[in-house]
Amino acid sequence: MERDKRFWRIVLLTPPLLVFSVLIVWPLLSSFYYSFTNWNGFSSNYQFVGLGNFQKIWTDRLFFQATINTIIWMVSALLLPTLLGLVLALLLDSKVRGGKFFKTIFYLPICLSAIVVGQIWIWIYQPNWGLLNTFIEEITGDRFRYAWLAKPDSALFSVIIAWSWQQTGLSMVIYLAGLTAIPSEILESSVSEGATTWQRIWYIVIPLLVPSTVVVIALSVINSLKGFDILYIMTGGGPFNSSDTLAMHMYNESFKKYLIGYGSSISVVLFLIALIIIGIYFRQLRKFDQIYG
Amino acid sequence: MFGYKKIYDSGIHSWPVVIFIVLLILSILFLAPTVGVLLSSIKTTRDIALGELWRIPSELYFGNYVEVFNNPAVGQYFINTLLVTVPATFASIVLGSLAGYVFAKLPFHGSEILFLILVSGMFFPPQVILIPLFRLFNSIGLIDTLWPIFLVHTALGIPICSLLMRNFFSTIPIEVREAAILDGANEWQILTKIVMPLSLSALAVLATLQFTWIWNDFLWPLIFTQSDEKRTIMIGIVNLRGQYTVAWGVQGALSLVASLPTIIIFLFFQ
Repeated sequence: MERDKRFWRIVLLTPPLLVFSVLIVWPLLSSFYYSFTNWNGFSSNYQFVGLGNFQKIWTDRLFFQATINTIIWMVSALLLPTLLGLVLALLLDSKVRGGKFFKTIFYLPICLSAIVVGQIWIWIYQPNWGLLNTFIEEITGDRFRYAWLAKPDSALFSVIIAWSWQQTGLSMVIYLAGLTAIPSEILESSVSEGATTWQRIWYIVIPLLVPSTVVVIALSVINSLKGFDILYIMTGGGPFNSSDTLAMHMYNESFKKYLIGYGSSISVVLFLIALIIIGIYFRQLRKFDQIYG
Repeated sequence: MFGYKKIYDSGIHSWPVVIFIVLLILSILFLAPTVGVLLSSIKTTRDIALGELWRIPSELYFGNYVEVFNNPAVGQYFINTLLVTVPATFASIVLGSLAGYVFAKLPFHGSEILFLILVSGMFFPPQVILIPLFRLFNSIGLIDTLWPIFLVHTALGIPICSLLMRNFFSTIPIEVREAAILDGANEWQILTKIVMPLSLSALAVLATLQFTWIWNDFLWPLIFTQSDEKRTIMIGIVNLRGQYTVAWGVQGALSLVASLPTIIIFLFFQ
């Protein structure tokens, strides 16, 4: 019986673990290896440069800029879609007429690819006939031709708005699931206690949504580290690297300048940031289980 | 109208109306970008350039769509994307189910840790494994074929598929398995004949997720393909921007056509 089980474990687990190891675990370890070399991606010979790449990172102004942008990106991606998603979920949870229809509209951008979302928003920001400038012209009556994506001051933030438009539906869905799990007895008893709607939302509903918030935050942070596609199509990291993120910077160094070794070391830093965040997240989750579990 | 979970005071009758109006305004704002593209895709370039982009067109113009469908490259992009997406969706779900079954029904000493490692694969930025994978596929001559994209998506899908399948398999009562074992079935037969047929709903959710995810991906085809015949639709959108620099209507039509499969799947699974 036990021997039987062992046999099936090996048979069933081997294919997935083999694919996972060869295509994910091994490349991950190799990345660490290349980050200590000056390989250019083509030549068969390359030297070990020790910590040279990492020293270069310290003095690389563009890397510093990309790190700052990644943090800005992460914080905004946390605040905007999370708050808006929460508001939408609270509104939709009221069994309002046409709720299902509204939900579909807010969720629809999730099905679109980052490339299509980027394409749509390029047109909104288009200086001469884009929706945004046309709208501002209608309201003020003055000619307004600001190039949102071509100005270092506004490029990154313009992309963040586009990204938030897509991500809001995701946090909304997670919050809606969390709201469904709230027992109505709690809410009903607060009504008989004479609590107002705002008190109910603030003191009962929001604290009960903490578990959903944990999930939303984890997803946003992880997604924001991967922010690449939408930047690629909207700004390419420009103008003057003003919207570069670490993922973008790594791509440019490796595949535009062929500094594969240096690109690897940037990706290693990216990996370590992700590792720290996941570590914090799992620890919080454990604490959380002890309190609520 | 409003009996569900009393977050809002039932004493105030204006709540439903206020909420409805707020939602209506927000949804119009939310829809505006998509509607704008839809409108521009049925307009001539001249109309758009005249600043008429966001007005209802005076006449329906389908020339942009004709242009998209008549472009031979677009058909090729679609075929390539399907050739990657369908097999990779299938393969990742099969592999994830195998792993999920073992973690749910045949746990062993250390399986918790192994499962955690597998699932954490979901969280890492793909940039970390980009270069070694490029090197690997380059050395076996697979660059500029569809193989690497298929293989990478299969591997990257294993964490999420294992997680969801394990969670679903855990809900299947143990008695089902025990009865089957008494009847002389082995683990493979239990998985394929009993457990999988019970999991159709979970499989449908996963298939939707994976299909959308792979269809919309941009990074891997960007790295692994070079010639136009091997590009997928998302790369195609970026490439054709050069060809239709000022033909905004064509660009809009192409974006919408490229998003149709995922939108249809989403609405179907609503």
